Amino acid sequence: MRQTAELLDRVRAALRGRTVAEPGLPYVAPREPGAPGSAQGRIDLFRRKFEALGGTFLAGPAAESVIPALGELLRAEGVTALFFPEEDPASRSLADALVPCGPFLLVSPADIRQAEPPVSAGIQSAEFAIAESGTIVQTSRGGTSLWPGLASDVHVCLLSPDRFLDGMEDCLEALSGDPPRSISLITGPSRTADIELTLTMGVHGPRRVIAVLPSS
Amino acid sequence: MEPRVRHFVRNSEKALADRQLQVALSRTTGKFLENRAAAVAEFPRFEGARESASRIRQEALDNLDAHLARFITEARKRGAVVHAARDGPEAREIAARIAKEEGVSLAVKSKSMIAEEVGLNGALEADGVEVVETDLGEYIIQLAGEPPSHIIAPAIHKTREDVSRLFEEKLGEPYTEEIPALTRIARRRLRDKFFSAQMGISGANFLCADTGSVVLVTNEGNGRMVATLPRVHMVIAGIDKVIPRLADLPVLLSLLPRSATGQALSSYVSVLTGTKRAGDAEGPERLHIILLDNGRTGILQGKYREILKCIRCGACINVCPVFQSVGGHAYGWVYPGPVGSVLAPLILGLPESSPLPNASTLCGACGEVCPVKIPIPGMLVELRGDEREQGLKTPAEVLGMKAYASVMSRAGILEAFQRVAGVVSALLFKERKIEWLPFAFSGWTERRDFPAPAPQPFRKLWKRQRGIRPWTR
Repeated sequence: MRQTAELLDRVRAALRGRTVAEPGLPYVAPREPGAPGSAQGRIDLFRRKFEALGGTFLAGPAAESVIPALGELLRAEGVTALFFPEEDPASRSLADALVPCGPFLLVSPADIRQAEPPVSAGIQSAEFAIAESGTIVQTSRGGTSLWPGLASDVHVCLLSPDRFLDGMEDCLEALSGDPPRSISLITGPSRTADIELTLTMGVHGPRRVIAVLPSS
Repeated sequence: MEPRVRHFVRNSEKALADRQLQVALSRTTGKFLENRAAAVAEFPRFEGARESASRIRQEALDNLDAHLARFITEARKRGAVVHAARDGPEAREIAARIAKEEGVSLAVKSKSMIAEEVGLNGALEADGVEVVETDLGEYIIQLAGEPPSHIIAPAIHKTREDVSRLFEEKLGEPYTEEIPALTRIARRRLRDKFFSAQMGISGANFLCADTGSVVLVTNEGNGRMVATLPRVHMVIAGIDKVIPRLADLPVLLSLLPRSATGQALSSYVSVLTGTKRAGDAEGPERLHIILLDNGRTGILQGKYREILKCIRCGACINVCPVFQSVGGHAYGWVYPGPVGSVLAPLILGLPESSPLPNASTLCGACGEVCPVKIPIPGMLVELRGDEREQGLKTPAEVLGMKAYASVMSRAGILEAFQRVAGVVSALLFKERKIEWLPFAFSGWTERRDFPAPAPQPFRKLWKRQRGIRPWTR
């Protein structure tokens, strides 16, 4: 306490006789012309941005198209294990529906917590999707786990049509006031360019991100 | 990291002769510039966002006392323990104490330049704590026992062959020049560390005053693991990282990744507010935030306040022709390039870092790319003036500059001087170059020729063409 009080004293002393140039607020960058206004416009823009980042977007009737296509993608990635947060019934039912497309084993997050884990897909409902940047938003609200997007090889995000937002501003506005402990904005797969600036996917997090928007 | 800024000239000579380094730089520096240029071209709002961001950062600094106090209050309200460190030694002591009190023997760390600034790892290791760097670039240089050479890509000075030999030697992995295979090795090796560490260490890209949030921006996903998995999270951040509001993030984030790596947005942005709450699935039970001064209040007070607006994107570093030639290690401290050439004298002291303000061609590129509009070239000139005031220039340099200034500010004398020089030059330097100069000028001609004065000065040509005298006073 004493140290922080001293720090604040030093800052105050440094600013003595200050002139504040531009207190004008708020600083919000103007929207790009032609930003989508409709729900479908947001979904379309999200899809474009998300796919440009290397993401895969699957939409359509769940049983007939989305689930078989997802199963095939996961098999192609060599996925053998599926996991999902216990408290998320939507991702549980997606995982259950995927099992016959396997061979996939339903595992618990604890099984992923090992040095040589199986190749896994983490399935999870997303809190929001941001159209402007193709970003998936996950928060810790309601006890939601970050696990599926944290340590899996393939991250499967379950979207719902009413959760698409225009920009990051809208997302932070929706979560401000008392923000949850963790807000994760996920834009594309885990990547690095630390060796010779050569882009490589899947360092610590997922190497592939799949967004799923099933229609009822 | 022990500063070796004084040796910039010697370090640069070594860097220029280092073929391996030159290969690494040639493979990378152009990519940074291309990526940034493409990202800016695709974002028509760039200039507007720059103006907004510059104002946000300026206002944050002009009212830093209020914003910092608010940040401390809000973070504490949400369970964080906030510490303040006056300088590096104090930060190290606080960090070591935290590790001890929390019973930490293994810590995983996300890339943090401020931790390099204060030498955090060394302090913890001295107390028996194993600190594992988890950013791929940092992991590489930790294995190599080297400091970072770039704030965004710390191992930019290493080729894939270097990395492979390093992994072979230190980890016993088979040699491969495949970059994805090298990346997979790091993933496999570090996984267990994430799960068994008791403490995660990170810096902060921003601290939001109105919510007490810590913002981490990463591409690899290690930052969020470090901040989520271990029982304790320790954040170390400069007081300059404070921004007034969470709502300021979108503008700042529209610039940071575009300027740094040319991405519209980095893969992971984590906004972390307080400790794990009742009902949360995961998160640290303990959150320590160390706020570092280390000379920043001094900078805040003086004429260089604006350098604290810096958001550490590295754009000025990438665009700098000096950095492109000598790489980051030559600068001898954690912040290379133009931003480092301003920060080092201000934090370490001008006598300690005197060559750096001169490690610039003053081409102005750093000022042009800066996303928060810091007038870096002007600051470098100003620092050169400070060098003179503090008696850090040689008498020959001071005298030479005085003579130069007096000629350049008198049109008549300049003209006479040019006429004589033109005649002498036409007689002596038929090749139009001077290969040897005496005294203080010998440094120039040691490695390159000096262009000989033109037989017909530009001013004369101009006069003949237009019938007027340029710049008459």
